Amino acid sequence: MSVIDKRLLFAAAACIVVAGPANAQEFYAGKRIQVIVPFSPGGATDVAARFLEKYLERHVAGNPDIEVVNRAGGGSVLGANWFAENAEPNGQTILFTTSSTSNPFVLGQEGVEYDLAAMRPGYSLPFGAVAYIAPSAGVTSASEVKDADVPLLYGGIAAAASDLPALLSFEVLELDIKTVLGFPGRGPIRLAFERGETNFDYQFTPVYATQVVDMVAAGRATPLWTGGSVAADGRLTDRDPAFPELPSVYEVYKDLNDGAEPSGLAWDAFQAVGTATYNYGLTAFLPEGTPDEAIAAFEAAIPAINADPEFQSESAQVVGGYQLIPPSEVEGPLLAALRPSPEIRAYLRDLLGAKYGVNF
Amino acid sequence: MLEHIVPALSALLEPVRLLALFAGMFAGLVFGMLPGLGGVAAVSILLPFIYLFDSYAGLALLLGATSVIYTSDTITSVLVGAPGSPASAPTAIEGHALARQGKAATALGVGFLASMVGGLFGAVILSLAIPVAGPLVLALGTPELLMFAVVGLVFAAGMVGKDIAVGLAAAAFGILLGTIGAAPAAVDFRFTFGQPYLADGISLTIVALGLFAVAEVVGMLASGGGISNERLPLGSWREGARAFVAHRWLIVRSALIGVFGGFVPAVGASASTWIAYGHAMRSTKDKSRFGKGDIRGLAAAEGANNATVISDLVPTLLFSVPGGPAAAVFLGALFSFGFYPGPRLVRENPELMYVIVWSVAIASVVGAVICFAITPLIARLTRIRFAIIAAPLLLIMVAGAYQATQSFGDIAMLLTLGVVGWLMKQADWPRAPVLVGFVLAKPMEQYFWLTVQIHGWSWLLRPGVLVIGALIVIPLLLRLAGHLRARRSRAAAAAAAGIRMVAPLRKERRTDTRIGLAVAWLILVVFVYAAFETAGFAPDSRLLPMLAIAPGLILGAFVVVRETRRALGEGVVSDSAAVAEIPYLLTILAYGVGIWLVGFDIATIALLIWMLIGCARMRLATGIAYAALILATIHGMFVLMRVSAPAGLLDLAILS
Repeated sequence: MSVIDKRLLFAAAACIVVAGPANAQEFYAGKRIQVIVPFSPGGATDVAARFLEKYLERHVAGNPDIEVVNRAGGGSVLGANWFAENAEPNGQTILFTTSSTSNPFVLGQEGVEYDLAAMRPGYSLPFGAVAYIAPSAGVTSASEVKDADVPLLYGGIAAAASDLPALLSFEVLELDIKTVLGFPGRGPIRLAFERGETNFDYQFTPVYATQVVDMVAAGRATPLWTGGSVAADGRLTDRDPAFPELPSVYEVYKDLNDGAEPSGLAWDAFQAVGTATYNYGLTAFLPEGTPDEAIAAFEAAIPAINADPEFQSESAQVVGGYQLIPPSEVEGPLLAALRPSPEIRAYLRDLLGAKYGVNF
Repeated sequence: MLEHIVPALSALLEPVRLLALFAGMFAGLVFGMLPGLGGVAAVSILLPFIYLFDSYAGLALLLGATSVIYTSDTITSVLVGAPGSPASAPTAIEGHALARQGKAATALGVGFLASMVGGLFGAVILSLAIPVAGPLVLALGTPELLMFAVVGLVFAAGMVGKDIAVGLAAAAFGILLGTIGAAPAAVDFRFTFGQPYLADGISLTIVALGLFAVAEVVGMLASGGGISNERLPLGSWREGARAFVAHRWLIVRSALIGVFGGFVPAVGASASTWIAYGHAMRSTKDKSRFGKGDIRGLAAAEGANNATVISDLVPTLLFSVPGGPAAAVFLGALFSFGFYPGPRLVRENPELMYVIVWSVAIASVVGAVICFAITPLIARLTRIRFAIIAAPLLLIMVAGAYQATQSFGDIAMLLTLGVVGWLMKQADWPRAPVLVGFVLAKPMEQYFWLTVQIHGWSWLLRPGVLVIGALIVIPLLLRLAGHLRARRSRAAAAAAAGIRMVAPLRKERRTDTRIGLAVAWLILVVFVYAAFETAGFAPDSRLLPMLAIAPGLILGAFVVVRETRRALGEGVVSDSAAVAEIPYLLTILAYGVGIWLVGFDIATIALLIWMLIGCARMRLATGIAYAALILATIHGMFVLMRVSAPAGLLDLAILS
């Protein structure tokens, strides 16, 4: 370190001392943030967390040093449990989650020791999904989905994890789709679709945008709809901003039912699970009791990140071009989705138990 | 396409990129040698460093590491007998036996050269296959993938050894271990005892280390006192070269098996290694040396495992579907450099593809050369008192087991399986079938379930299935015919000579009766419990466990009865060498309990003092200095791996 660097550092340190910790601007100055990714390196969640690392370091006031740490296991439950038990509420440990973390919590699965709804969201990225169908089914748009020429077959991983919103969308739309669960991953499912072993699939936006669009262009897949995104009134009715040309599940329901609004437990359950899975699909949580200064630092940084031209061009490729959502906009709708009414929870557990044989 | 081969090479030969490639190779060589730390650990640790470089150099860093791991793991497997990585378990079995016969150089030479051939084969296939492999990968539907797992199981059936009851019981036990965790579609969590740790199943690394390496460490400690009289002479390299030439076609065939294993996502290097090993066995007339040091088993395994990790890149690059766990990290790295694998990437970025091919090819060759160069140095280590090596070895294994999920369950499982492995070793139960059953259980169940769900029973008539089925059935029929012919001619010859065939006298090492009984009872109890719990599963989740439990119960009971009768008939045979090892085994177990109670550091210091001063009889000052060095190294590894050392109940109590 050169003398000048040292002087700068001293000057910076002096500033912190003078300004004091009360100044939210400097909350993260000289601090290190550990971002816990409860999945193995190389997966979609890990890639997104590492993608955001650079921009958070650049734009969060005080330029904290950010480090992504993988703690995989138990389908993300182990890492989240560890976080709940060990993370100090000092803003320096963050849990980066997907629906694989939130769905077991919503369902109250055995082994879940973390209370996501008590934690504080720091920042969030949507993780939309697109439904598409094989051309051999003879379906050219969402409105024809009930008139397929062949029986529809959907490949998934596990009913109670990231496939849950897809399965619920079938309930809402009252589709007759056979589901084959137990694939080893979303990639092998895509291969099975390409081989013609299945003919209906949902893929999350980043994969859809980099892999499936080529299949669509080559005439080997037809996009149908997206899960949708949360409207100003908190309902999952808007179109997915990454695919404004595709209808949301909400619109497809209205289209298939002569304009009637979806309602009932299936729709409420889809809204709760879909909100957590799609609109706030990748959410960073801080422990309960984290000081407001930490949350405010993220709140202030997010508009700057969204305006960063490098972020805009890279996010189009890595995470489907979504904008980061600040904590003030995450908190209300996400926490409501994570705490569904007892009726919705009972509905979900009944559905998974009776139709998909899940033992709770 | 091909015009990009030379520009890609010159792009890679830029100093910084070459430096990155060599840095990756260095990390790969070290991690390959450390048991329990393999490709995934190496690339995960290197991942943050790739951003220091440009995209080609960053990818070269990762590729350098993955391409040499399965070369350098041969060193540990042969010299120490602990598999350097899970996919080199066959190498540890055959290679270490050869080393004990003074043929370490032969084993290592063949291992390095076979690894190199496997790597080069992978690279060539990668460059050739990219234009043509797409349709091939897409031609393999779930029924074909299921058939591959079945082929693996049939090949592995050759490994059960002489004592068929014990060998099959071991295989059933392995399958049962493989069913721990979520059933397909996660409708049931089997044998998890409510622990989220077990929900994903046990990691292959831990099973391989527990079964093979812990028993070796115990043996090392027990032999600990003075300078080992079993110093390992290397033998001659020339013999290794000769053996390599003699088995060149076997190595090529194994490399092809490995390449194929890489094409198929979710069938990892371990499965194809065992399949190649089984192939070596089946294609050999005299099988008696297998398990006791057969160079062919080693050549096949090493040819296959390196080819697999490299051809794992084929589905990764073509379909963005990682062929294996290390390839998954590589995929993440590609994403972060803005490369989105898929047919488009292959078309639009041919130079990148050939940079990858060249990185892998250069690393495979240079890695083998480096291994040849450093082996004399490493072999010198084996002349040190074994107990001195045992200490860092055990700690590295514990750290390696722990770093994957960072839960105490990893350590507990490693030591529990270590006890099982030690018992099986002493009781002369083959451990390879356990590992094979474990490796194949998951893909078999998963693909059977998917196949039946998607295709009903019509899958049995698919052309691919029939072709692969023929691969199983035709050799079986041929062998049966050969057997019958041989028996007839032998019987005729015997009748003509007028002599009676005498059964060869059974010569076997006397195993300790009590340990034999203990293993038999242990296995039986495990199966009885498993049967009890399985009764509560959904029918679909019950299928595979029952496939293991039904034979396991019968065979377990049979072996218990047989061992009991043996004990009653011959009296209790005592194997004093085995009994003498028991205190060492118990101390290692106590170490596990110690970590749980007082945390990693205190328990480790106590263990090191006991191992170095108690077992290895080092002088106090030297022992303390050495212990401090080991502890510091392990902590350095924890920092690099971004892992916090396991805390004990006591630490947690003080903190809260």
